[in-house]
Amino acid sequence: MPYLTDLEAAGIPTVLIDLAEETNKVKHDALVYGVPGMRYVEASRTMHGVPDVDRILPSVMDALVCPLTDEEKKSGTWAPKEPRILFEGTLEEAEEFYNQTENIPGILNAPFARYTDGLPVVLPTEERVERMLKGTSHKPDEIIKLQRDTYLRGIGEVNPGGTRKKGEPVRYMPMGRIATVEQVAVNAVMAGCKPEYMPLVLAIAESGGGTGDGRGNGGSFLVSGPIYKEIGMNVSYGRFSPGNPPNKTIGRVGSLMWRNLGGYKERVSTIMTYGDPVTNGGFILAEYAEGLPPGWKGLNEELGFKKNESVIMTCRPGNWGLGQEHMPGVYRSLQKSGHGAIARFLDVKGKPGPHNYIEYITDGVWRTYEGGITIILVPSMAMDMYNYGFKTKEAIYEYIWKKSFEPVSTYRMRGRPDWFTNGWTSIEKTSGKRWRELPDDYMVPAGGESPFENCVVVCDGEETASERFSGGHGAAYSIDAWR
Amino acid sequence: MAEKKYKCLNPTGTQEPVDILPLAPRLDKLDGKTIHLSICGEPDITIPLEKRLKGDYPNVNWTMKKTYGIAPLQLSDEEMKTTDAVILGVCW
Repeated sequence: MPYLTDLEAAGIPTVLIDLAEETNKVKHDALVYGVPGMRYVEASRTMHGVPDVDRILPSVMDALVCPLTDEEKKSGTWAPKEPRILFEGTLEEAEEFYNQTENIPGILNAPFARYTDGLPVVLPTEERVERMLKGTSHKPDEIIKLQRDTYLRGIGEVNPGGTRKKGEPVRYMPMGRIATVEQVAVNAVMAGCKPEYMPLVLAIAESGGGTGDGRGNGGSFLVSGPIYKEIGMNVSYGRFSPGNPPNKTIGRVGSLMWRNLGGYKERVSTIMTYGDPVTNGGFILAEYAEGLPPGWKGLNEELGFKKNESVIMTCRPGNWGLGQEHMPGVYRSLQKSGHGAIARFLDVKGKPGPHNYIEYITDGVWRTYEGGITIILVPSMAMDMYNYGFKTKEAIYEYIWKKSFEPVSTYRMRGRPDWFTNGWTSIEKTSGKRWRELPDDYMVPAGGESPFENCVVVCDGEETASERFSGGHGAAYSIDAWR
Repeated sequence: MAEKKYKCLNPTGTQEPVDILPLAPRLDKLDGKTIHLSICGEPDITIPLEKRLKGDYPNVNWTMKKTYGIAPLQLSDEEMKTTDAVILGVCW
């Protein structure tokens, strides 16, 4: 939409073809980007293209030649004002106010929360927000800005990555709003956070607050560094279970920021598909660096920070449970004595470990998935992999990446590469040639563009189970910068 | 005794003022104009659309950029100088 605004501002008339149920979002974006009169024509999501074009073509051409109405000629300023004090009243009245909903036609008039993620919230009284702000040295009216240059990984040619510069204000999507430290603190109070969580919450805010491009689902975050211990994050048994206040409340903050800082409103300001059950309710996990084998770096060091620095890394765990499943005891049998299913798979029956669990766990990962993976290992499993021969995490990343290679003829059958190879016209990285020019038997990685798209994290626990999910390494943000 | 009243703060972000622009004046005619077709997504619609436009409006100078992505490939500053109108779809 900013592009259409630029064209109209340059005196070039435009018309947008959208799909009918997206029109609310089109109108919304047109206002946010300063061209509320934007002309559009609605195409059909179900009709065959030829009759659909017959139907819309006259309207498309009319939009370019029909003279402007008085409304379309208007200029001015759109400057909605939000009061700092949103509500004044008793706690009971405030509770009712903050938990109000509205019915949205685009989701069949189901209720949608005006200020929350749909769950009850802690009321953000002035006193509570003031206490929350004691968790950081940053001033309440400071605008959230990038604290360092930050590289964002893209996907192929159609969504290239790039570096964003230190000092850039963070835009919360879909509305492109900005936010202050105090506004972040308000959301932290509502999520149930404690003041000591604020540096981590502010780092999440610096990362975009889980708003993404407007479809961020509240985000998902991995934490590295000593902060996990300072604030009591559970990095051990039950780390994805209920009961640990920092994991639950900090995980929740992203959803509130998406709703409140970004202005996410389904079918109005944003068009999602159906959401993400993995991140709905919050996704945050902290690393247990004390459990790393010798020579294996913590996430913070992998991402260019020091060992004693606390950081968050954004991740994308939307595909959960990738690869082979097994009972924890099957792993123990493998390494202790070479028995059980994994030993059969690896053809090491009767031979005590260490054996290559990574080979087993990544089997079949790319059958229906493209990209890097993140693997969570407990310390004993990480040590087994070290003893097997993976003396660094990088060695595992390289191994996984190489395992993902397959012939172009197989890769072409996948659903997503049409998009991120831009119709097979972009350059394939390992060959330097266009995808279309590659022979059928040329081997390409289904596991992303480089080994670093994979990620291994060590968490505490003795039960020999691993978690595997999509995403690999993401962008990193300093938590210490927000102390 | 009256129940205590509290002031509660606003969790929403700050919307910066937006300059509202009038739309660009429309074309007085189509013949002889350079109209750019900016295609992003939905080939089932954009392929027949391209055929119809070129067939039904042969006196228009059609230009085109195409991507499978959701963000349109943009005209350069030089290209904008010689473009009279833009049709963009099916995403924005």
